[in-house]
Amino acid sequence: MLSVGQLKTHHSFSVEFVISRCFAGFSRETSLRLCRRARRGRNKKQGARRSNNSASQPSVMLSRLIVVSVNSLKGCGPIGAGLVHASRSLHTSPQSLAPLPPLPEKGGKVRHGIFPEELFQLLYPKTGVTGPYMLGTGLILYMLSKEIYVINHETFAAASIGTAIIYGVKKFGPTVANLADKINEEKVAKAQEVKDVAISSLTQAIDDEKKEQWRVEGRSMLFDAKRNNVAMLLETNYRERLHMVTNEVKRRLDYQIALQNLHHRLEQEHMINWVEKNVISSITPQQEKESIAKCITDLKVLAKATQARAAA
Amino acid sequence: MTLSLFDQFMSPTLLGVPLIGLALALPWVLFFQPGARWMNNRLVTLQAVFMNWFVKQIFQPMSLGGHKWAALLMSLMLFLITLNMLGLLPYTFTPTTQLSLNMAFAVPLWLATVIIGMRNQPTHALGHLLPEGTPTALIPVLIVIETISLFIRPLALGVRLTANLTAGHLLIQLIATAAFVLFPMMPSVAILTSILLFLLTLLEIAVAMIQAYVFVLLLSLYLQENV
Repeated sequence: MLSVGQLKTHHSFSVEFVISRCFAGFSRETSLRLCRRARRGRNKKQGARRSNNSASQPSVMLSRLIVVSVNSLKGCGPIGAGLVHASRSLHTSPQSLAPLPPLPEKGGKVRHGIFPEELFQLLYPKTGVTGPYMLGTGLILYMLSKEIYVINHETFAAASIGTAIIYGVKKFGPTVANLADKINEEKVAKAQEVKDVAISSLTQAIDDEKKEQWRVEGRSMLFDAKRNNVAMLLETNYRERLHMVTNEVKRRLDYQIALQNLHHRLEQEHMINWVEKNVISSITPQQEKESIAKCITDLKVLAKATQARAAA
Repeated sequence: MTLSLFDQFMSPTLLGVPLIGLALALPWVLFFQPGARWMNNRLVTLQAVFMNWFVKQIFQPMSLGGHKWAALLMSLMLFLITLNMLGLLPYTFTPTTQLSLNMAFAVPLWLATVIIGMRNQPTHALGHLLPEGTPTALIPVLIVIETISLFIRPLALGVRLTANLTAGHLLIQLIATAAFVLFPMMPSVAILTSILLFLLTLLEIAVAMIQAYVFVLLLSLYLQENV
């Protein structure tokens, strides 16, 4: 019944599953067998139905089939009400009961810790609000007076243990309940977090993928821009080199021009110097006196003309 | 019903039918069963928390070979603690007050640990008979003493549990009887006795839990030595 394999699959020390599986399996089968034995009398009436059931499924292994009527199960001990679905074959089909119906949020309502609220509701129409209390008091007084229950030393012991239990429950009840709730909440929160993280990471992945797809559309523009870039670089380079060539050629031609100019100027100056030298050396003294006398007569004439103009 | 002081320690019978089996099987019904659900109710959660904590407590110092005993010791603990606590209720029979039950738990489990030790690592198991650092002259005496102490272990385990619970229950009965008898005569003294009874009840609740824990703890220690 105990499977060590189950012990190894849990990475933490949660042995309760092993033990509870052990208890669970044992209880269901044992209680079912007990029920079958206990209600065999009642089931004889439904024997025909049972045989019909088994006959209609001849391929099912009869030793594994537990068909018990629902009514007989309901009264079967403290575990009966939960076993209504025992009328299916055990582990012979992959059928399951999922999704399970949701658990009720809170347990059944009780008054004073042990008496279910249903009792009070049952008695309310006939006896009103104080009905169950009167019933309780009456029962207690009846048992005391008829000495069905005798007050003895156990009563005192019962009183003291009762006080201890009630005090404990009242004082530590809410704390313990909150602790249990907190543990359950943490369990749910952990699973929820895993789910949320998975969802958000997947959403993020979707967005990233969409962005990548959008990027792919613009890829041709990117290539055009790159191509333009490269062309511009080539053009610029070409023009630079062209410029350089032009400048170099111009520099060489300028040099030649300057050289020619220099030659021209030198020749000119040389010629002028030579002509002047020759002219100056060719002026005789006779010519020089004549030219000076001519200059003096010219000056006298000019002076007379000016005087005459000034007097007029 | 009139009760003598022996009634609570007698194995219960009804019309000659012994009910001891029922008394031993009753706690099983009271354990919370986790259903086929991922998240259970508060009781199952609390039980799971307790079982987890207990197993960790007991088996953390144990080497891996001893972990096979986890389910056994856990179920033993639950059984003993439930029997003890249920026995504190009035008019109940506590099976753990019977020496037969406690010896039936102690002897086989202790013997199992000894045999495991002797089979798997005999030198190491026998080495426990001599504590470290004993003076050489004392060695023979000490070995004899340690052997005696080894063989007295199951006796001690069984008798400890029996004696504690029987004594506690008897005390409760006696003091309750005293309070009951004094009540009509000297109520003030009866009230003092009742207060004493209440304190004793609190002590007994503690003792019930501690004795179960000690039983299982000692068994795990014996296992630790030998596994």
